[in-house]
Amino acid sequence: MNNHPYLRAYLAGVLIPTLVFPVLITLLFVAMLVAPESIPVERIAIFPLAFAPACWGLWNVLWVALRKFSNVPLGLHGAILPFLLMPMATVLAKCLGVITLGAHSVTWFQAIEIPYALIACGFTFALVMYYLVWKYIIGFVNRVLGIA
Amino acid sequence: MNADDENRIKQLLKQTLPPVERNAEPERDLWPAVLRRLDADTAQRHTVPWFDWALLGGLAVFVISFPATIPVFLYYL
Repeated sequence: MNNHPYLRAYLAGVLIPTLVFPVLITLLFVAMLVAPESIPVERIAIFPLAFAPACWGLWNVLWVALRKFSNVPLGLHGAILPFLLMPMATVLAKCLGVITLGAHSVTWFQAIEIPYALIACGFTFALVMYYLVWKYIIGFVNRVLGIA
Repeated sequence: MNADDENRIKQLLKQTLPPVERNAEPERDLWPAVLRRLDADTAQRHTVPWFDWALLGGLAVFVISFPATIPVFLYYL
């Protein structure tokens, strides 16, 4: 199992976004049926379908590559990813009209309004979520695939 | 390399490497040590530190308190 470690790292990295996407798309379709206004599912799907898996996969490849030079724990490495991913996702979402920036809040998917204070708090918990997911789930998959 | 050299190398190898006895077994049973190592490795992998449980609890409380954030979290995953 020592062949192609970067390919295996990429596959391990894309697992979570690939599993989460059907859940998100199901929620969006349900919301589309009940929401009074139309929800732009095709525009919402661009980031979680096209960008997030690639970013996760490449981030895991980077961890495997950096392991030769440094000993950064996988959880910490994963917790850094939101600092890159979330601004990128937000800019893309803004360009695609998925989010609307207001004076006191941000509206996601033309349906969910979240105040800025809660977003700041939510970002902290997003870091926690990324830390736990990378430490335990990606770490497990890395071990299963013989990378870690 | 001629035949004399080959014979010389064979002799040297025979002198250096002791002959393997038939049905040679280790002096002690190695299987319990292997099992201990596997158990230790398994226990180490499945031990979750208390602060990770605390972080998970905090995350759960946040998501339950603000369920509207769930699709947003899923969007960024």
